[in-house]
Amino acid sequence: MIPEQQTDRAPLNTDVVIDEITRFVAEQTRTTPDADQDLFATGLANSMFAMQLVVFLEQAFAVTVAGPDLQLFNFSTVKSMATLVGRLQAESAADGDV
Amino acid sequence: MSDGPTHEDADTWRSVRDNAGSWDLAGEIPRTVLSGLGAAGVLCAEVQKQYGGLGMGSLESGALTARVGSLCSSLRSVMTSQGMAAWTIHRMGTREQRAAFLPQLTGGRLAAVAFSEPEAGSDLDAMGTEVRFVDDAVVVDGSKTWITAAAYADLIVVVGKVGDNAAAVVVPTDTEGVTVEKVPHPLGCRAAGHARVRLDGVRLPAANVLGGSGQSLPFLITTALAYGRMSVAWGCVGILRGCLDAVTRHARSRRQFGKPIAEHQLVARMVAEIYAAERVATAVCGHAGECWESGSPEVVIATVLAKHVSATQAVRGAASAVQVMASAGASDGHVVARAYRDAKLMEIIEGSSEICQLELARHALATANTTDRQP
Repeated sequence: MIPEQQTDRAPLNTDVVIDEITRFVAEQTRTTPDADQDLFATGLANSMFAMQLVVFLEQAFAVTVAGPDLQLFNFSTVKSMATLVGRLQAESAADGDV
Repeated sequence: MSDGPTHEDADTWRSVRDNAGSWDLAGEIPRTVLSGLGAAGVLCAEVQKQYGGLGMGSLESGALTARVGSLCSSLRSVMTSQGMAAWTIHRMGTREQRAAFLPQLTGGRLAAVAFSEPEAGSDLDAMGTEVRFVDDAVVVDGSKTWITAAAYADLIVVVGKVGDNAAAVVVPTDTEGVTVEKVPHPLGCRAAGHARVRLDGVRLPAANVLGGSGQSLPFLITTALAYGRMSVAWGCVGILRGCLDAVTRHARSRRQFGKPIAEHQLVARMVAEIYAAERVATAVCGHAGECWESGSPEVVIATVLAKHVSATQAVRGAASAVQVMASAGASDGHVVARAYRDAKLMEIIEGSSEICQLELARHALATANTTDRQP
């Protein structure tokens, strides 16, 4: 199973996170989303893609998205994902664990 | 080490090989065998060592799953269920829930995951099972069907609806209001303990709700199925390996028209096709396993592909294997007779071939306009 990751990276600047997520979504859907665009409402994403987003965020930003954070609304826009990443990085920096 | 079975012990697997036929005929694997393997951590081999698991990576666990699948798809199905339950708890649960439940699953208790209902198969959004929060408890009402391994399970991860949301609740089967009734005479994986599960006002502490509150149904489904599909895919690799082994031995020794049947070209073609099927299935599963291990987002689609390709190949390969073996393999309990029946169920379970095809088509269309695909 995926080991419970610990970050050894400093929390990233939100703009950098937004850029990286946008690039991934564009690569996977051949459409560049606005940071506020609802990916599910506009048909760019479904639950399969949502899971892909989870794995992408975990790998790209060294966070673990588990339990109560696996909510669709956390993945509905590039911005909401960046917020989630920021919170998880802050939590794991404060906590040293997941 | 204890003197129970381990996955490294050749005797463990020899005994599975020798008994698989009679388990199939009886429609049951002895409880002691399952709890022994469970306590050895074999049934959910990817659980981390801190929870008493074997801590295997996806590829090592896949190899183990294929090995079990080559011997007994019923036992492999029980592994798939136990592994899926563990994965769902790991992924959707809180740290406290992982610590509470995972050691039980590596300690000999058996588990299943309950999604499907009489009116909700591929269309899981139609599920009617309800989870209600009442003070610091939850009450579960509903009816689940064809739940693999539920007949053996001590714990069932039951998925139900909470308003527009969903929840996964860990339900001990000895809780009041839980009724488990075996599916009579399943077509395949006859000893996998498929059962109907009724939940009538089953009251449990809210601490048994994974993640503590309502979660998104699509996420829950995609999470649990990702593990289940990978496990089924490797199980199908095992089915093909079991068939290839039986067929090559038979085709070399069985003589007709004055020579081994392997020297008859139409038979040789079937041997070639079973071999090709086993290699193709191994390759797609290996690729998906690498995606799991590297944390690549491609894991999602690679897993669907592995499940779909492996199940389809297993169905074809098993049919050819019965054809080559003919009367020698045409009795219930024989490895190729089991393969023939078991493989068919693999095209139905954890997302039917058609549901997988829809997902693959959606992916291909979404990533269209390129010939620059990854190797």
